[in-house]
Amino acid sequence: METKKEEKKSKIKQTSSFWVWVTASVIFRLILIYFPKNLNFSSRPEVATPVTSIRRLAEGYWLKQSSMSPYAGSMYHGSPLLLSLIGPLTVKRIEGQPNHLLCSLLFLLADVVSAMLIRATGQTLQMSSCLSLKSLDLVELSKNSEMLSSGDIAALVYLWNPFTIVACVGLSTSPIENLVVILSLYGACTRLPPLAAFGWVMGTHLSLYPGVLIIPLILLLGNGPDAPPRKLFLQRRCSKGGKNPSSDSSCQEEELFNQSKLPITFSWKPVIHFLFWASIWSVYVLVLCGISVKQNGGMLEMFKSTYGFILTVEDLSPNIGVLWYFFAEVFEFFRNFFLIVFHMNILVMILPLAIRLNHRPCFLAFAYIAISSMLKSYPSVGDSALYLGLLGWFVFELADLQFSFFLFWGCVGVSLLSPVMHNLWIWRGTGNANFYYATAMAFACFQIVLVVESVSAILNYDRKLRKLSITKPVDGKS
Amino acid sequence: MAETEVSKKRKRPIVRLAVLLLSHSVLVSVICCTAGVFGLLLLPVLAKNTYISENALMPGSASSMLSNQEVSEANKLIKELNNLHSNPLGATTESHGIVAKYMSNLGAQVNNHKFHPQLNQFHPLHFFSGPDSGVMQENSTRSLYGINTVGIIRAPRGDGKEAIVLVTPYNAVKGGVRETLSLGIAYSVFSLLTRVTWLAKDIIWLVADSQYGEYAPVAAWLRDYHTPAFSNLDSLNTETCHVGNNNFESKISYGIRRSGTMAAALVLGVAYGNENEDTLGIYAEASNGQMPNLDLINIVHYLAVHRQGLRVKVEQFHWLLNSKWVKSLGEVFESLGKMVKTLNPDWKLGISAADYVEGAATLASSLYHQALGVPTGPHGAFRDYQVDAITLEFSLRISFDRLDRRNDFLLHGGRLIEGVIRSVNNLLEKFHQSFFLYLLTSPSKFVSVGVYMIAFALLVAPLPVVAASLYAKTLDLNPTSEKDKSATSNELGSVLQSWKWLNSVKTVFVVHFWGATVSLLPYFISQIPDSDPTTNFSVWILLSILSLEILRWILVSPSSHIYGLPQGEWATLKSATISSFFIGLGLMSVINFATAEIGALLMVPMALMAHPLKLDVRGQSLRSILRMICNLVLGVITFPPATFFVFKGVIEGFSGINAGDFWNWVESLWAWNSATYLYIGMVHLPCWVLCVQILLHPC
Repeated sequence: METKKEEKKSKIKQTSSFWVWVTASVIFRLILIYFPKNLNFSSRPEVATPVTSIRRLAEGYWLKQSSMSPYAGSMYHGSPLLLSLIGPLTVKRIEGQPNHLLCSLLFLLADVVSAMLIRATGQTLQMSSCLSLKSLDLVELSKNSEMLSSGDIAALVYLWNPFTIVACVGLSTSPIENLVVILSLYGACTRLPPLAAFGWVMGTHLSLYPGVLIIPLILLLGNGPDAPPRKLFLQRRCSKGGKNPSSDSSCQEEELFNQSKLPITFSWKPVIHFLFWASIWSVYVLVLCGISVKQNGGMLEMFKSTYGFILTVEDLSPNIGVLWYFFAEVFEFFRNFFLIVFHMNILVMILPLAIRLNHRPCFLAFAYIAISSMLKSYPSVGDSALYLGLLGWFVFELADLQFSFFLFWGCVGVSLLSPVMHNLWIWRGTGNANFYYATAMAFACFQIVLVVESVSAILNYDRKLRKLSITKPVDGKS
Repeated sequence: MAETEVSKKRKRPIVRLAVLLLSHSVLVSVICCTAGVFGLLLLPVLAKNTYISENALMPGSASSMLSNQEVSEANKLIKELNNLHSNPLGATTESHGIVAKYMSNLGAQVNNHKFHPQLNQFHPLHFFSGPDSGVMQENSTRSLYGINTVGIIRAPRGDGKEAIVLVTPYNAVKGGVRETLSLGIAYSVFSLLTRVTWLAKDIIWLVADSQYGEYAPVAAWLRDYHTPAFSNLDSLNTETCHVGNNNFESKISYGIRRSGTMAAALVLGVAYGNENEDTLGIYAEASNGQMPNLDLINIVHYLAVHRQGLRVKVEQFHWLLNSKWVKSLGEVFESLGKMVKTLNPDWKLGISAADYVEGAATLASSLYHQALGVPTGPHGAFRDYQVDAITLEFSLRISFDRLDRRNDFLLHGGRLIEGVIRSVNNLLEKFHQSFFLYLLTSPSKFVSVGVYMIAFALLVAPLPVVAASLYAKTLDLNPTSEKDKSATSNELGSVLQSWKWLNSVKTVFVVHFWGATVSLLPYFISQIPDSDPTTNFSVWILLSILSLEILRWILVSPSSHIYGLPQGEWATLKSATISSFFIGLGLMSVINFATAEIGALLMVPMALMAHPLKLDVRGQSLRSILRMICNLVLGVITFPPATFFVFKGVIEGFSGINAGDFWNWVESLWAWNSATYLYIGMVHLPCWVLCVQILLHPC
């Protein structure tokens, strides 16, 4: 009893400290928001890409207000819905306050809501993993995950990640994009197909790349949240059945229990639900877009200057990605070929990962987001912030992550070096584009290593579980 | 066992190499550090002769056109200005008028530029933004102002999109013969250039009003030149500036007149020489150790030595010239060079001991001035706009009073400037062929970035190796401790174990955050009215200690109490410290190489050697006692103020040392926005604090 009380106490302490840290992060952002001129984050290439920059959005809004097409002059490349949502906020000024205060507050709100959603999703994930571990009789493993909430950790990692803070203070629209992606994952985890469908449709509409998340979302809805491989449960049941034939009834009971809690079969109903809702939402979004761009340009122009702009990599201004330099150098007649090659890069990885990680859809989503934010045409630190936050869900699974120490310091070093190289190139004139591009490549390398290592750590964890669940009965006997 | 052996054999060679390096980290760090220091000492030997890299420059290919006619005109101007100085009342306004009159008589476009001297202030957030994002300061005192006079010759063969700038600092109130002579040189060249046909770039002659320092007027003019001013500002300027009662002066506009982008800038100065020859001093260091393109120095050197017979010198540390150990080191290198020559006559490594001493003194001064990050003259202002600029300081053997000597001097100086301008005039693009990153070991010898980076890389190479080996060791430690604990089945422990390094990372971050606050504190302390440097310094130290304690209390204590960490903690802390220090040094080597080099020389041994004193006391072996002594000595020396006082004492003698000196030094650093200040506050000091924490670790 006492241990339980202590646990409760520590839980309460944990939640209170969690909220303290959340408020601290909000206050920190507010402080930074009040120094916008000095920090100048919104003009940094790491933060504001042609797709996410709020300056471009304000320009697009202005064009729209003067009854021109918002996409005129290749300035704005975002969704028309964002224009009507955020656009009015860019114009409104409050006396004596920073210019973009309302926008900043909106992004701050988006960040906090995303963190809360990450926390809630993390808690569901943790609960389901505890359940599945218990059903595998690995009580000790499940115990440790009860002590620290991975949802809290993930939420705090997301809130306190410098990348998130910079993206929020730097007024790029990536907090909103991240929010809808997280919303879809949350909806799928808590089995709310309409919500998941809404998040997915909006994410795809806003930044195209979340489209690949349809696979993990369907898996999530069909199979339930992350669990050890299904084979394990089957093996477990078989071995149990084989070992104590005398106590048939209890075994059957357990089987029933297992089946009720962990659906072994793929359940199609929520998936169909999801697809249905997705089609409804997409029609809805398209109709809204159609209404807002009807007067000027129409849908074709919208698609051309949003998705077309993303896919054809028209803007070659430097960013932290690897495409701009390449397409600045490549010969014009090879351009289409390499465009296909680079975009295929993302698509090629989808299927193998989906097959290998189909029992862990949330992790699969993490891997997809990480890969696409590395290879997308206009990446920014806001995209990295998203998958680094999601990484927090898997603290226990990734405990044996190799090179975590070096990955961490490497990331810190590269992300500090990149603005310095930019300064050397643009302001001092003693460096050149290669300097900056080298840091971009190093950053991409670190991301690749992170993805590879975390996937292998997850697979190792599954192997460890299998080993434990096979050896456990023997231990019990001896 | 057999299995592990097989797996070991199967490992890739690169992995085996890494394992080998990690297991011999002590040996590796000793070898690398010694090699790094040796490489630094070897730099004067490895210096190459300069050469003119850009073919278009063609210095000295045309014969000089400057004749005695221009010199005599210049003499007229000098005489008139000197007469003005005899009655100092009203000299200020009139001297501008005289210079402007001479300029416009030559057919140049003339305007005055009024500026308000800005006190150098601390902008904590402006270090890495571009020059134009510096917000205009509102609080500069409006009553103080200076007036620059600017003359522009439009090039007959140019399109007005490029310009070459000549700057002569001139103090109308206190200016002596020295400054009028530099005006004379510039005027003689200017008057020639109004008549030549080959000019393809506009010539801008800026007579900078140096009553508030030489840097401020040039910086102010450059800022106004590069920021587009809109109508209201112009009208404001013309309104308030009708000070001159002279008829001519009121005709001169105060709006800024522009030409194109600047290809190069030359700042002229004249000094009283106390040497036996006419010499030309070259000053090139701009803010944060940035140097102009080496080609600019090369053409000046080439023309001065081979055409005008001047002796060119760059700054040296004179106290190093007489130091015995440098001399003996030079002798060692000389004999080594001879030995190498016997092995292979093609290797030309040998330089004489005297040359080595000269080179070492110049190199040390070059390193020092770059590391300080404070520009050595008005040319520093140009570098902020990516314009290559140097200061040329002529110094004469005898006094300027004799007219024939003076004419000779004007002729030589004028011809040199004319030659340089003619070379730069040939350029089709901006300087880009030659080096931007180099250290000078003499006016005609340089060490390029590719060479000096090797010494630095060797010096810092042990840092990642030691960090990795320490981290690997703690990982090796953990499984055993886990096995001991397995009875209690503390799996939470194992999860925390694998993320344990995050705790030391947190400590490192807290300390670096503290470093940032410490670097911000002087901004607030300097707001205290009427305080002398010593009290400021002590307030700073007190506040720093206070903030460290507060941060420790808020952030560090709770977690370390809850999960009391085992003995290996100091090792992870050390590896995190070293990693962060390595990153800091790497960044600094990109921003300002010299600072990183000096910082690495000071701090790398300390960071590598840090080891808890308690363990050393318990160790009782000779090695641990030696390590303890080294640690204690290094711990005292590498504390930034201590380092400063030790260096000052060695160079200037320990007698006149005052605690406020450090404050003054730091103030000069932040006033010039030197990145060295940030380095000290956010890399060096936190690393020192962390090392001390490791030393005092209760293990």
